[in-house]
This record gives sequence, structure tokens and C-alpha cells, in this order.
Amino acid sequence: MNSQSQSQSQRRKNFKIEAFKHKVELDPKYAERTWKVLEHAIHEIYNNNASRLSFEELYRSAYNMVLHKYGDKLYSGLVATMTAHLNKIAKSVESAQGGLFLEKLNHKWADHNKALQMIRDILMYMDRSYVPTSHKTPVHELGLNLWRDHIIHSPNIQARLQDTLLDLVQRERTGDVINRGLMRNITKMLMDLGSSVYQDDFEKPFLDVSASFYSGESQQFIECCDCGSYLKKAERRLNEEMERVSHYLDAKTEVKITSVVEREMIANHMQRLVHMDNSGLVNMLIDDKYDDLSRMYSLFKRVPEGLSTIRDVMTSYLRERGRVLVTDTERLKDPVEFVQCLLNEKDKHDKIISTAFNNDKTFQNALNSSFEYFINLNNRSAEFISLYLDDKLRKGLKGASEEEVEVVLDKVMMLFRYLQEKDVFEKYYKQHLAKRLLSGKTVSDDAERSMIVKLKTECGYQFTSKLEGMFTDMKTSEDTMLDFYAKQSAELGDGPTLAVQILTTGSWPTQPTAACNLPPEILTVCEKFRTYYLGTHSGRRLTWQTNMGTADIKATFGKGHKHELNVSTYQMCVLMLFNSADGLTYREIEQATEIPALDLKRCLQSLACVKGKNVLRKEPMSKDISEEDVFYFNDKFTSKFVKVKIGTVVAQKESEPEKQETRQRVEEDRKPQIEAAIVRIMKSRRVLDHNSIVAEVTKQLQSRFLPNPVVIKKRIESLIEREFLERDKADRKLYRYLA
Amino acid sequence: MRRSSNRKSSSASAAAGSGSTKAASKEFEKIDHLFNVYADKSSAIIDPEGIEQLCSSLEVDYTDVRILMLAWKMKAQKQGFFTLEEWRTGLKALRADSMSKLKKALPELDKEVSRPTDFLDFYSYAFRYCLTEDKQKCIDIESACQLLSLVLGTQFGPQVDKFTEYLKSQSEYKVMNMDQWMGFYRFCNEIPFPSLENYDSDLAWPLILDNFVEWFRENQK
Repeated sequence: MNSQSQSQSQRRKNFKIEAFKHKVELDPKYAERTWKVLEHAIHEIYNNNASRLSFEELYRSAYNMVLHKYGDKLYSGLVATMTAHLNKIAKSVESAQGGLFLEKLNHKWADHNKALQMIRDILMYMDRSYVPTSHKTPVHELGLNLWRDHIIHSPNIQARLQDTLLDLVQRERTGDVINRGLMRNITKMLMDLGSSVYQDDFEKPFLDVSASFYSGESQQFIECCDCGSYLKKAERRLNEEMERVSHYLDAKTEVKITSVVEREMIANHMQRLVHMDNSGLVNMLIDDKYDDLSRMYSLFKRVPEGLSTIRDVMTSYLRERGRVLVTDTERLKDPVEFVQCLLNEKDKHDKIISTAFNNDKTFQNALNSSFEYFINLNNRSAEFISLYLDDKLRKGLKGASEEEVEVVLDKVMMLFRYLQEKDVFEKYYKQHLAKRLLSGKTVSDDAERSMIVKLKTECGYQFTSKLEGMFTDMKTSEDTMLDFYAKQSAELGDGPTLAVQILTTGSWPTQPTAACNLPPEILTVCEKFRTYYLGTHSGRRLTWQTNMGTADIKATFGKGHKHELNVSTYQMCVLMLFNSADGLTYREIEQATEIPALDLKRCLQSLACVKGKNVLRKEPMSKDISEEDVFYFNDKFTSKFVKVKIGTVVAQKESEPEKQETRQRVEEDRKPQIEAAIVRIMKSRRVLDHNSIVAEVTKQLQSRFLPNPVVIKKRIESLIEREFLERDKADRKLYRYLA
Repeated sequence: MRRSSNRKSSSASAAAGSGSTKAASKEFEKIDHLFNVYADKSSAIIDPEGIEQLCSSLEVDYTDVRILMLAWKMKAQKQGFFTLEEWRTGLKALRADSMSKLKKALPELDKEVSRPTDFLDFYSYAFRYCLTEDKQKCIDIESACQLLSLVLGTQFGPQVDKFTEYLKSQSEYKVMNMDQWMGFYRFCNEIPFPSLENYDSDLAWPLILDNFVEWFRENQK
């Protein structure tokens, strides 16, 4: 057993299996023959005779060639054959006449692609193994490159192709119908050959030609069209180009061609369009041309500086228009009309911005800054806005629903926000509110309160605390009166009925009061009230404000005509005198009532010189009151109304001297506010330079008014004198806080 | 009140001084003797009359700026009066114990005052010297103009002329305070005249100077 196995293993050791070392050499002649077969096949493919070929055989032939290291021969053969064919095709295309040129090219291209596909399939093994290792171009790509080099870039075709394409575009632009499908195929061909081919051979020249086309067209249009029509045309051209791209150009061309149109038709003519006489931006704004404005907005949005151009022109127009409005002396005679005008302007332009300018915030800001600019050009704006509100709250909003009231108040608040001198507004609003409350002439308590809430939200608690105090006083007075009459009714008996409004001095606008002599009947009941009030509120002082009250008097005229007269306190004092005399001279009246001269004259004028309200007769019958006049009770007075109102407590636009006085008071009020701000700032900063103080103070006070830098400096110097501040010894540009 | 405290301090220094050489006490002797020549016998203070005499002895005009400089050297508190302490202070500092020495010391004093650091002190002293009332903080414009001419007239003649012209023509300011007074000196030093080219009213210049510059520029046109 052992010996047998031994010899077997020995035999096994000697037996080796060797690799098949035989090289199956392809006979060069055989290689040549194989190539010829393939070459023939390529010819047939190009001649549309491919149906008779055997794919399997050709594939195997190519495979063998590559396998037996004849890849080079195969590849170069392919190149040569294809090139030869392409040259033939080139000649064929070149010979095509006119319109058939493109068609032929297109047709041949389709053929070439089909052929290429088949050739690639046949030579797939070469593509996969020989091509990568020898760093040659793959078959498909090779086919495209050869097409590009021998057809597209052939000297007789290249220029002609470009011209033909551009010519077709031009014709389409001027209204002809062209073969879009053919165009698409051609451009797609160029894209397939490589985006640089598309760009160099078509896109770039296309863009250049388009630029000069639109440059010319825009020049033409702008000479003969108005702005609106021009914009319509531009928009149409823009849409056309986008459509063109979607139909037969590469998608990447869209942004390029649209920017050409934008530049040529819009950007280059922006200024001229916007400023065009009779049809430019300003005219569109004036005439509310929403469509045109909307179009302008969307077109200009596409170009740099487009929107800012519109915005700037709009701003300067608004500022100028506003400036004219607020300095128009005719319009300024009626404050309510004036403010209504401003509100209308705001509404109009708000609508334009929301309808045509897409509610663009930058335009809203431009509108706001323009309004802020011109409203503050007129230093009576604050007063007029308050008068407008007074008119609305007194009668204008009568019968309006809650929503309508809110809408009006909100709109007025928008104007209020533009005011730089909000403290001036506060002063006037206080005066007007006081008159409204005291005469009981307010359309709705809710509307009044709503307004206060809005002011509080806008300006903070301090702005409205006094106003609210006024309301509180009115309510408290009501309660006090009820209590007074409940407790005192027995004692009062038949005396005149008194309604007292107790005003807390700090909350109400101050006016100098001159006491006058009240009629005895009134005096009695007034004293009774004073006693009652001081009984429950010790430590307080009451002063009758005789220039603010009203009275209802029953008067009997000739023939028993009875009327109820609603008059001011002063007027009451004067009229009551005629209970004991039929006629009185001016001086007698003056002496008896002790009413100040200016007020007395005004009072007598309203009683004797106004048609329909002349309860007194004056001699002489002149219009003005002189100190020599004599007054008589007018027995012959008639009125179709039983109740006649003669009082003069309506809020009016201030006269020039009154305005000066108010302005002066406002300036005086500002001084402590500025000083307080300076001290606050210096306390926290310790040392600061002049400009910084001015900037900080302005910032702190901006919600109330815009402080004058000269006034700030004066206040600083005053504080230096009073040793709150000093100049820094080292650097005299700085101020230092003195604790 | 003040005078008694001065006396206390100076008598302390005199006490210290007397510890040193006899020459020092002799110096005061001569100074005191000179003092008594001009002082009022009853009040023991040189009053305006005495100053007038002093001026004629010095051969200097009553309104001459050197009298003011002298007062400054003496640190005199009240305009028109020199106390003994102040007299001693001034003459000791000037090393003068006779009229001839004092006369000779005046030109030196002039030069000393002109030195920038000393001048600033002198300049502010000049203003304070004019505050005659208790708690007075301002001097009237008329006096301020005179004082300016006196004190700054030689050094900054053109500015002083124009500024006083302005002050006399306007009616907004009836008095001038220390801050404005010092501001003007700074103005003369820092701002070229008459170009006024680097004057910036946004800086911390007193308002009166802002107004002056505006007036000046208006009148240039």
C-alpha cells in the first residue's frame, strides 16, 4: 500500500496544469479584412442600407479587432470613414438653396444621429475597453465633434447657418410666421454639440443682434409714443421674447435675452419715460392711472435703479405738491377743509401704492417721509388738525357708526404721527376739548374716549393724563350736582337752576380770569353751592370762571313772544341788567358788570349786531361797538325758533396775536423739558461733548417736538451758570456733570 | 470776614518770617511804611482816592492796565481797595519796597503777565475783580467792553474791536458771565481772525460767540 501511494504522489508532483500559452495571432491580413467589413458596414449605414447588416457579426468583428490589439486601426479607420462621409454631407448641405438649407441640415443631422447610434452599438466593445485605456474620445462624442468640425464649422456653412437663424428671428419679430419646430431642432442640435457651440455660433450673435434691434425700436417708439403706450409695447416685446425662448431656444437664454430687452427698452430710457410731458409718472399719479402705473412698476422692477427712479420722482412730486397745498393761503382760511384735503391726498396715494405698486414698503416709506416733510412746513398744521378733529367730534361724525368713527380717527392719527411739534397739538387739543366738554357739544362720548386711547397708545400716558383728568372732572361734577340738589332742594326753592362744572386747575387749559359782577339771583345760588362744596371738600379753593359759562334765559318780547335764549355768562350779566332798565349806555353796562373791555365789546356785538340774534338794539346802528353807544332791549325781536342760541364758545382758528401767545407758551414749556433731558443725560454719562448732547436730547424729545439746537445750547449755558454743569478744564469741548 | 482770616494767615506767615533774617522784617517795614503813605488814616486801607494818588506817583494813568496787573499781583479782592495784606503780598512778590523800585517793577510785571499761563489767570482775575456786589455773577456789557479793550486790546486788537462793536450793537445780551468771558479768550487763541475758518458752531462755543460770528460774517458781505 505504501509504495503505491508513494509513486502516485510522485507522479502527482510531476503533473502540472499550465496556462494556455497559445497566442491566437490574428493574421494582419485577417485584420485588414475585418476592417474592410466594418468599413463597408459604416458606408451602408450612412447610405441608409443598414437593414441588410448583421449586428452580431459586426459586433464580433469589432470585438476581435480590439482583442487582437488592432484597436488603433479600428479607431483611426472609423475617424477617416466618418470624416469622409461628413465631408460629402457638407457639400450636400452647402448646395441647398435658400429656405431648404436649414431643412437639409436638420434632415442630415437626424440621419447622422441615427447612424452614430448604430455605429456606437457595433463598436461598443471598443468604446468600453480600447477607448478609455488609450485616452481617445468615445464614439458618440467623436461623432458629434466630427459633425461640429466638418459641418457646422465648415467655412461655407458656419456663417450661412448663423445668418439664416438670425434672419428668421428678425422676420418673426417683424410679424412673419416662421417654422418654429425646425428652429427648435437646429438650436437643440447646437446644444447637443456643446453649450459653447450654442453660445458662440448662435446665442452671442443672437443677443448682439437683438440688442441693436431693440435699441433701434425703442428709439423709434420713444419719439412717437406716450409713456403708457411705450410701456405696453415694451411689455409685449418682453413677453414675446420669453415665449420665443420657450418655443425654440435653450432655457438658459431666457434670462440673457430678457436682460437685453430690459436694458434697451427700459433702462436706457428710464429718465425720459418717467419725466415725459403729459404722460409721465406724475401725470399717471394725478390721473390715477392704475394700469399704467402697475405696468411701469413691474417693468422698472426688472432693471437696476428702476424702482428707486420711480420712487424718487414720486417723492419729489409729493413734496412739491404738499408744499403748495400747505402754503396756499386761500385753502388755509378753512382749517377743516385744509385737513380734509391732506387726508384725501393720503387716501389717493395709499390706493395707488396698494393697487399699482404692490404695497411696496419702500414706496409706503417714501409717502410717509414726504408727508412728514410738508406737513411740518406749515407751523399751524398741529392747530388745524386739532380743529378738524373738533369739527368731527362736535358734529361731523353725527350719526356715524362705530366703525366709521374709528376709520376717520385712525386716518387723522396717521397725520398726527407726521407732526414734529406734537406738544403744540396737545395744547390746542386740550383747548378745543375743554370747549367741547363744557358746552356739552360732543357727538359721542365713545368717540372722544377712543381718540384719547389712540393718543395714549401713540404718545404714552403723560400725553393724555390731563385730558383724561378733564373727563373725570366732568363726571365728578355731574355726581356733585346731583348730590347738591338732593341735599339742598328745600332751600333753593324757585331760584335759577345751577349746573356747576368743577375743573381741576392742573388739567384744564389755563386762561386768565377776570371776575365779573353776577346778577344777584345767580350770586345767591352760587354762594349756596360754594358753601356746600367747601363743606365737603375742605382745603380747596373755588374760583368762578365767568368767561367760560353759559346760561339759558327765558325772555318775553313784544306781543308776548317768548323765547329761550342760550347765552354766555357775560351775555347773561348784560341782559339781566335790562330787567330794571330799558336802555343803558356802554359805560353803565361796563360799570355794572365789570366785564373786561375787549370781552364786553365782543359780547355786546353778538347781542346787538348779528342778524336774527339781535335781542338788543344799539344806537347808533353801526357795526362796531363804541364806548359812546347806547343799548336798548329790542322789543321787536323775532325769530322762527323758540330756542335761540347766541353764545360764542365754538372753537375757532386763532387770531394772529392769540397764535403768537400760544406759540410763546409752548416755547416756555419746552425749556424745562429740554433742561430735564440735558440733566438726565449728563447724570448718566458724566462727561459728554456738545454734539452728542444735542443728538441725545433730540432723540429723547422726538416724540413731543423737535428741539432747536440753539435753544439747547442756551439751556446748557443756563445750567452752567446755575452750576449744574461745567466745562471740562482739560478739553473745553466737553461738558461735565456737577453732582 | 475775609480780611480777618487773611490777617490771621499773614500774621502766621509773618510770625514764621520773623524767625528768619532781620532783613525780611525790615523789608515789610518799608513796605508797610509805603502802604501808610496812601492808606486812609481811619480805615487803614488804600481806598480809591489813595489809589489815584498811587497812580500819579507811579506816573501811570488811573485806567492803565498796569494798575489792574498790580491788583492781580496783590490778589486784591475788592475793586478800588488794597488792604495791607494784599499790599504786602504784591510788593513782596515784586521785590519792591520803595516807590522807585515799584516803578521799575511795572514793566517786568507787564512781561510776566503776558506769559500764556499767567495771562490766563490774570484774564479771569480781571473779570472777577469787576464783580463788586455780593453774589454778582455777571458784568454789564458796557463795562465788559471796556475791560476787554483794557486787558486784550494790545494782544488781540482786531478781535476785541469787532467783538465790542457787536456787543454794543446787539440787544439780546445785557450782561456777560464768566463762561462767556473765558470763551472769548479761547476764541482769540484758537480761531484765526478775520477768516474764522475753523469756527464750528456745533462745538461747545458759548452761544454769544456763535451769534457774534454770524453777525461778523453777515457784515462782511
